[in-house]
Amino acid sequence: MEKLNITLYRFDPSCDDKPRMQGYDIESDGPLSVLQAIRHVYHKVDGTLSFRNSDCRRGVCGICSMMINGRRQLTCMCLATDGMTVEPPPNRTIVKDLVFETD
Amino acid sequence: MSDGRVDRTIETDVLVIGGGGGGLRAAVAAHDAGARVLVLSKGIVGKSGLTQTAVTGFQVAFGYADPRDNPEVHYGDTIRGGYGLADPELARIFCDEAIAAVEDIESFGARFDREEDGKLIQRKLDSSQTYPRSIKKGDSLGTPIMQALRREMNKREVPRMHEMLVTKLLKDGDRVCGAIALDFQKGEIVEIHAGAIIMATGGAGELFPVHSNTPDSTGDGYALALNAGADLVDIEFLLMLGHAVLHPATVRGVLFTFQYLLTKGAKPLFNSEGESFLSNYDPEGNDNPARHIYARAVYGEVREGRGSPHGGAFFDPGSVSHETLMDSLPSQTKYLEKFGVDMTRPIEVGAAAHYVCGGIKINTQSQSTVPGLFAVGECSGGPHGAGRIGGNSLTEILVFGKRAGAEAAAFANAGNTGSPSSDEVASEASRVTSYLSRERTGPRPNVIKTRLQKLMNDYVGVVRNDEGLRETITEFERIEREDLPTMSMAEDNRIGNYDWIEALEVTAMIRFARAMAGAALLRTESRGAHYREDYPELDDKNWLQNIVIHHSANQDALAFETRECTPGPEYTASLAEAG
Repeated sequence: MEKLNITLYRFDPSCDDKPRMQGYDIESDGPLSVLQAIRHVYHKVDGTLSFRNSDCRRGVCGICSMMINGRRQLTCMCLATDGMTVEPPPNRTIVKDLVFETD
Repeated sequence: MSDGRVDRTIETDVLVIGGGGGGLRAAVAAHDAGARVLVLSKGIVGKSGLTQTAVTGFQVAFGYADPRDNPEVHYGDTIRGGYGLADPELARIFCDEAIAAVEDIESFGARFDREEDGKLIQRKLDSSQTYPRSIKKGDSLGTPIMQALRREMNKREVPRMHEMLVTKLLKDGDRVCGAIALDFQKGEIVEIHAGAIIMATGGAGELFPVHSNTPDSTGDGYALALNAGADLVDIEFLLMLGHAVLHPATVRGVLFTFQYLLTKGAKPLFNSEGESFLSNYDPEGNDNPARHIYARAVYGEVREGRGSPHGGAFFDPGSVSHETLMDSLPSQTKYLEKFGVDMTRPIEVGAAAHYVCGGIKINTQSQSTVPGLFAVGECSGGPHGAGRIGGNSLTEILVFGKRAGAEAAAFANAGNTGSPSSDEVASEASRVTSYLSRERTGPRPNVIKTRLQKLMNDYVGVVRNDEGLRETITEFERIEREDLPTMSMAEDNRIGNYDWIEALEVTAMIRFARAMAGAALLRTESRGAHYREDYPELDDKNWLQNIVIHHSANQDALAFETRECTPGPEYTASLAEAG
């Protein structure tokens, strides 16, 4: 059993004044990609989190790209690590949480 | 909250539902035929769907690698690979038009790997191809195809809307005239009026816990078409592959097409006792059999206690040099290494759901049995029959995408566009918004989905039998009756609420899963991708028949009908050969 704490960006423009970062404890049977960790939070910990689920999950489509520990990377192609933070890329209009407007 | 209000109404001539390769090819063709086109996708148009993930090879009978190959031989392979159930006219069209389809996509700027003399490189995937016929681009064939199609879409400025889940097709009399969609980003209900609709919604891998598809492959298109009165055909043929990576979980379900390494000296698949076993499971004794045999063979070894720790078998990428790996399968190798897979040691591979061979029954115009409703790609049914041979799917989307686009444009341009009844629109808008005002007492959609996936895996996957299928259908009916009405979301927010999308998806998934299990129960034989352990033999005497499914007059019941199929001499010849 692996235990991780990850911190995700939360912002609902319809009711929040400003974004906040929220920490989550997750437990899993083995290593997770960052994308799998986000999905895990959504399904098992906090269903109010908004995220995108229409990804290729193998580094091709690019739509899961986020800032991981401040560096822009594909969440499907990185391992989730204890203490990491995940935020949308800068200068994007936030729809809610990890969902931002696309080009 | 649960009112029948629509937030926006949009008009177009041709509505394309699905933003993968088939959808884009159809959209470009419809635009070029003079229609106003709108493309909707559940994901991002041009970056969703399976085409982009295609790895190695699509079949086009140029005959460069072996001059004996031609469209006639390709046709024979397709009919044999479909075990006699492919629609001969549709199979003929796509084999005959495949070369022109490649020329088309190359004229859009896609480039594939060539020999020094400029001819396209052609390789052989497995025994389903008489001659090497698969063309390639490294091991990322989907990339140049999608890039080219996105460029053509942009050049034509074809309108598109991202993250739109279509929840219902609207009809006027017997023809389709539009759709209702939920806009994920805005949380709005959108009504679309269209002269013709092209379904390009892909497959249903997400019905299973391990699959090679994208996570949004939930089979919505099949359920939408069924609910609109269209026929589905051959959907009991769910192609399970045996060459998906099973461990670690970070890469579970992703394909590793090691078949291409077998001609380069790689050791074939082996079990926990180190023995090769594939030829024991292939009636023709091939040690690199057609893809569905792989899944069944691995299943058999696992059941006999000779499986790998995670329910598969072993392939040893270390049995070829790292240079060979990087030369043949560079992106797959890099991907697995990125997640810490040691490519010098055996890896666990096994079954993953890959492809629904049947789907929305189409004719030569790519039109369904509902006027104005067209279908292309995996969601359509007819060209493949009981099994789709590797590499025929990309060929199909290019050939039938072009046809569907042109035919849908002609249908829409012929005028007499229908208009939906306001009652039907209001009732669907109410159904969709009803989730926002439910008591939060029932299970979240994902809980029901997980239950569905387990049932599909255990009873409707690689191996099926009467008892398991019956129990599964009974349980699906119970879920529809008891769980779906109480299913509730984590919150009632309209904006970016994925539970809302998933609730609608799960409802569609159950419907399609019930249809697939019903057809699998009816087919009391084993053929192609469908294997019944209680009826393990091919039964041509009774089962050279397609199973066609539609809604009976009672909207909740499904009607299953069998229809004689005349496979033609290519199929009977193959039987004579096999003795």
